[in-house]
Amino acid sequence: MGESNEDIDQMFSNLLGEMDLLTQSLGVDILPPPEPKPPRAEFNYTVGFKDLNESLNALEDQDLDALMADLVADISEAEQRTIQAQKESPQKQPHSASPYVPSFHGTASPGYGANVAATSQFDDDLPPPPADPVLDLPLPPPPPEPISQEEEEAQAKADKIKLALEKLKEAKVKKLVVKIHMNDNSSKSLMVDERQLARDVLDNLFEKTHCDCNVDWCLYEIYPELQIERFFEDHENVVEILSDWTRDTENKLLFLEKEEKYAVFKNPQNFYLDNKGKKENKETNEKMNAKNKESLLEESFCGTSIIVPELEGALYLKEDGKKSWKRRYFLLRASGIYYVPKGKTKTSRDLACFIQFENVNIYYGIQCKMKYKAPTDYCFVLKHPQIQKESQYIKYLCCDDARALSQWVTGIRIAKYGKMLYDNYQRAMARAGLASRWTNLGTVNAVPPAPPSTGVKTGTTQANGQIPQATQSVNTALGEDRRHLETTKDKKPGLGSHDPGAPRAQPPPKSSLPPPPPPVRRSSDVGGGSPGTPPKAKSAAASFPAQPDDLLPPPPPPPPPLEDDELPPPPPDFNDAPPDFVPPPPPSFAGDLGFSLPPPPPPPPALAPEPARTPPVVVKRPPPPPKRQENPGLPGGAGGEQDFMSDLMKALQKKRGNMS
Amino acid sequence: MAGMKTATGDYIDSSWELRVFIGEEDPEAESLTLRVTGESHIGGVLLKIVEEIKRKQDWSDHAIWWEQKRQWLLQTHWTLDKYGILADARLFFGPQHRPVILRLPNRRALRLRASFSQPLFQAMVAICRLLSIRHPEEMSLLRAPEKEKKKKKEKEPEEEVYDLSKVVLVGGVAPASFRGMPAHFSDSAQTEACYHMLSRPQPPPDPLLLQRLPRPSSLLDKTQLHSRWLDSSRCLMQQGIKAGDTLWLRFKYYSFFDLDPKTDPVRLTQLYEQARWDLLLEEIDCTEEEMMVFAALQYHINKLSQSGEVDEPAGTDAGLDDLDAALSNLEVKLEGSAPTDVLDSLTTIPELKDHLRIFRPRKLTLKGYRQHWVVFKETTLSYYKSQDEAPAEPIQQLNLKGCEVVPDVNVSGQKFCIKLLVPSPEGMSEIYLRCQDEQQYARWMAGCRLASKGRTMADSSYSSEVQAILAFLSLQRTGGGSGGGSGNHPQGPDASAEALNPYGLVAPRFQRKFKAKQLTPRILEAHQNVAQLSLSEAQLRFIQAWQSLPDFGISYVVVRFKGSRKDEILGIANNRLIRIDLSVGDVVKTWRFSNMRQWNVNWDIRQVAIEFDEHINVAFSCVSAGCRIVHEYIGGYIFLSTRERARGEELDEDLFLQLTGGHEAF
Repeated sequence: MGESNEDIDQMFSNLLGEMDLLTQSLGVDILPPPEPKPPRAEFNYTVGFKDLNESLNALEDQDLDALMADLVADISEAEQRTIQAQKESPQKQPHSASPYVPSFHGTASPGYGANVAATSQFDDDLPPPPADPVLDLPLPPPPPEPISQEEEEAQAKADKIKLALEKLKEAKVKKLVVKIHMNDNSSKSLMVDERQLARDVLDNLFEKTHCDCNVDWCLYEIYPELQIERFFEDHENVVEILSDWTRDTENKLLFLEKEEKYAVFKNPQNFYLDNKGKKENKETNEKMNAKNKESLLEESFCGTSIIVPELEGALYLKEDGKKSWKRRYFLLRASGIYYVPKGKTKTSRDLACFIQFENVNIYYGIQCKMKYKAPTDYCFVLKHPQIQKESQYIKYLCCDDARALSQWVTGIRIAKYGKMLYDNYQRAMARAGLASRWTNLGTVNAVPPAPPSTGVKTGTTQANGQIPQATQSVNTALGEDRRHLETTKDKKPGLGSHDPGAPRAQPPPKSSLPPPPPPVRRSSDVGGGSPGTPPKAKSAAASFPAQPDDLLPPPPPPPPPLEDDELPPPPPDFNDAPPDFVPPPPPSFAGDLGFSLPPPPPPPPALAPEPARTPPVVVKRPPPPPKRQENPGLPGGAGGEQDFMSDLMKALQKKRGNMS
Repeated sequence: MAGMKTATGDYIDSSWELRVFIGEEDPEAESLTLRVTGESHIGGVLLKIVEEIKRKQDWSDHAIWWEQKRQWLLQTHWTLDKYGILADARLFFGPQHRPVILRLPNRRALRLRASFSQPLFQAMVAICRLLSIRHPEEMSLLRAPEKEKKKKKEKEPEEEVYDLSKVVLVGGVAPASFRGMPAHFSDSAQTEACYHMLSRPQPPPDPLLLQRLPRPSSLLDKTQLHSRWLDSSRCLMQQGIKAGDTLWLRFKYYSFFDLDPKTDPVRLTQLYEQARWDLLLEEIDCTEEEMMVFAALQYHINKLSQSGEVDEPAGTDAGLDDLDAALSNLEVKLEGSAPTDVLDSLTTIPELKDHLRIFRPRKLTLKGYRQHWVVFKETTLSYYKSQDEAPAEPIQQLNLKGCEVVPDVNVSGQKFCIKLLVPSPEGMSEIYLRCQDEQQYARWMAGCRLASKGRTMADSSYSSEVQAILAFLSLQRTGGGSGGGSGNHPQGPDASAEALNPYGLVAPRFQRKFKAKQLTPRILEAHQNVAQLSLSEAQLRFIQAWQSLPDFGISYVVVRFKGSRKDEILGIANNRLIRIDLSVGDVVKTWRFSNMRQWNVNWDIRQVAIEFDEHINVAFSCVSAGCRIVHEYIGGYIFLSTRERARGEELDEDLFLQLTGGHEAF
């Protein structure tokens, strides 16, 4: 690591110099972005490009944007931490942020164009370019520090560590921009980083859409060519799966509800108690009460080893490379699927292994009757995830009816994934439970003044509705961004109000926010592209150093830049936008807010009384940040990194705290 | 007290003579005659006996056994009248704890002193405490099967009997841990050896012995075992067990609560042993693929326990472990994930380059292996026509991530091939690499295995993987050689522990089906998936795999259902009853305990009647085993299902006896 430290030092000082130059020039002009040159160039190119190749570039840029946002966040962080820097910061911040603006627009719009044109959205390994910038970008934060004088040495060390970590992390983290199709034929693009599981992506999507977050929502992959499809299990790594797709693939990723996903946990008796008792059991099945279900699940999934449903029966097997199907007697065991060879009994010792699950995924076969002359349309398919074309290594099996199909597919999933499925389900349930609480709160609050975070959903939408419309008519592109900004603002004031010990509820009037309500919270700055935060607000925030980082995560960063495939219709945009904001509250609430902030959202009852209090909040806002509206782009910090960043930041702050 | 006499020697009170034999039930035992009255208390009688014997000895464990009534007179405040004892009673004054030989799940014999006077349930609690096995309620004792006369003529090898009969546990106190074992084992080298026998897996059995041992050939045979369970609510004495008898100790209820490698080394090991013997003796069937996994796990477990790489003793440094874990967590957090990996892979890119012979099976090709220049870098394998062309486009490049690596090795034939099944969007491509010697093979094989898991040769496990592969090759030379050489009669138990004798690891039917040299590579292949496990993890994995067999945990008894004319099999599992056709083995019907309302036993006609929800009534009489055994199984499982983590170790004995006891018990 010693060597790399030196490297870092070197880069560091180079960049310091560069940054200084940049910031100075920024004061005068918005153009010079603190970015390294190469990306810059691409940037210019990409604007306006519409063909597929360019879309790749565009994606990189978007990636860059995210990183930029990160960077900006860093800067503001650093600034806020130093009190001395306060005076300078107001100037600096806008500057550092403003360069960002152009970049944002530039990248975003080409992105849209490209998306529309391109069938395949994502790119396997994001080309190298982004990586480099990434490494460089983190550097900028240092500039503000020199301001903080003596601590330089210690800080330098801390920064080195930070940088090194950053470097390591960035070198490793792979990101994809994924286009996800909604069931209303629209689609969203989403940045997914290597570490995100399907669950994380779903959570992101919950935040972007107005869906009810129930457990049936899933990511669903479709292979049009093979006519197979399946839902991702929540613990699967999305990037990993998508990396198996070929570059020119027609495969699609959908976001939809599939009740098969967790059917086994809702009605375990259909899978565990079926067939054995023949008819009688079927009657009792319907009546199984919740308690029995629970104990059945407990028994099946919570023991030393999980129990795979007993499943056996005749299935049709497609013969390799032919369109003929043979009927065979198959049995499911924890160790794989077996069949009974001719002339043998079905005792364990006579079974022949058909397939084991280690290297295969299970898919539903679609319209196999047509494509492969299958006896029925209830087919399932087993194949190695990497296989993307017709191959003799793909196994097609066909059941007599839908019930058998669902039992086999579920049984195989249980055998393959084991307890993981149950854990996924419980997590999904928890998420759904949370969501429904929120919506309840939201609806309750909707009429009366909306509380800050809980009410965000309703409150913000209202606010947005008024403002954005006005702006949008002028400039749709900007409008979008602005909306983000505003929504974030909405949230911010809410948060801010807490610090001062002010009421949590946000006044309904808030909708009039449009102005530039000052972001009290640093957190909001970071998340919302805060460059514009007023110094005073910052000082206030400074008392909660750890906070900002934590708050960051909630607002799904990538969304803003990416979200929009279909910019054109302003109204839809409008709809889209709110979701971004709505979500943030819950997460922050649930996890991060924990420490210093009084959890704003929780008390639903409290909200009602709030109206009176709301005014104070408004009052607080007054310190409206300058240029707010111009810096809309930022909301998207690089999503995946945030936790990492926040850890880092915390560590740094701690260090700093020690020194001061 | 009693025995007031006149000067002439006539008794003037209502006393009478009571004869008491000293010692265990032995007709020739010395006897005493006491003068007692009906009002004499048992305690008084005991006192008198001791006085009469005039021998200095600790009599505290002694009590009186009433032979005719098959009953201990344990209530010392009861009078003889209350017990109904008259002069003709045959009473024996003997110890309540007597030695028995327990045949443990690992088939070793252990002598210890068990209570002959307490209900077996309590006796089991004591035995398990001695053996430091938690959850004694899951275990019970069986009568040893009667030995056939013929076999006795064959010279039976003298078998080592471990002895714990001298160890006495202080009641009430949880045994403390000392030197990594419960304190009472650390007294002498002998007891220490005993603990090791208990807590460490035994080496694989001699394949010849395995073939000789009786194996069930049908479902009917499997019911035999279950007719021998002892009754938990009565004491050993009442069940006709004598001092020195051999009893089998087994896990009876297949519901293992809170199995924890840290606190349960003995329990885990014995459970593993029971599972292993179940599989080896074909008490439970499994498929070929499953058997290979079981064999690989046994091999791995044996290797670890032979090499002494036993897990750190339970408890002693649990605190340290936690601390270490916390520290390393912290480290990871602070440093990002394993920075060394990244830096290493940045600085040094490990690669293998060599001339290898490559074969790609294709349709309509007769080409065999061809020499190529092969470069293996990161997880990618590229091959060129010759070394000179290396910088140019390779003939083919394969990313081995996610591929299947199959060894195709014949040591004696000097064949070292690696078969790779590499997934690609088009399907799987098959390719064979042929190495020249073991060294080369080990290096490439290790690289392929790591690559298939997405790791590069920079990974820290690379060199150990190479070593492991070399070790396997040498194993195959010894193990496979001997197996191949002697055909179906592999070496006896003397074969060095190092040698892999696959016949000791698989059920005999696989011995018949495969030659040793066919089995060895398959077992080793399966082994590669478990090679990283620690001893207790491997045991746990074995147990889990055993538990997930479809037939796991079913105890079979022959019954006759009411209204049916033929015998059928009743399978009893921890959550259900299964009606099974005797001849075909098909499941006819399943009833779950969760739907059960009540069950009754009619002891007179030996019939069990069970009522399930929705007025489903089932009644059957027990044929192969007493209905007491069926009753106790059902009650026992119900009892076990009431256990909760929160209640910890405490056992609700009354509830157990209530659920399992018959009317005779009370």
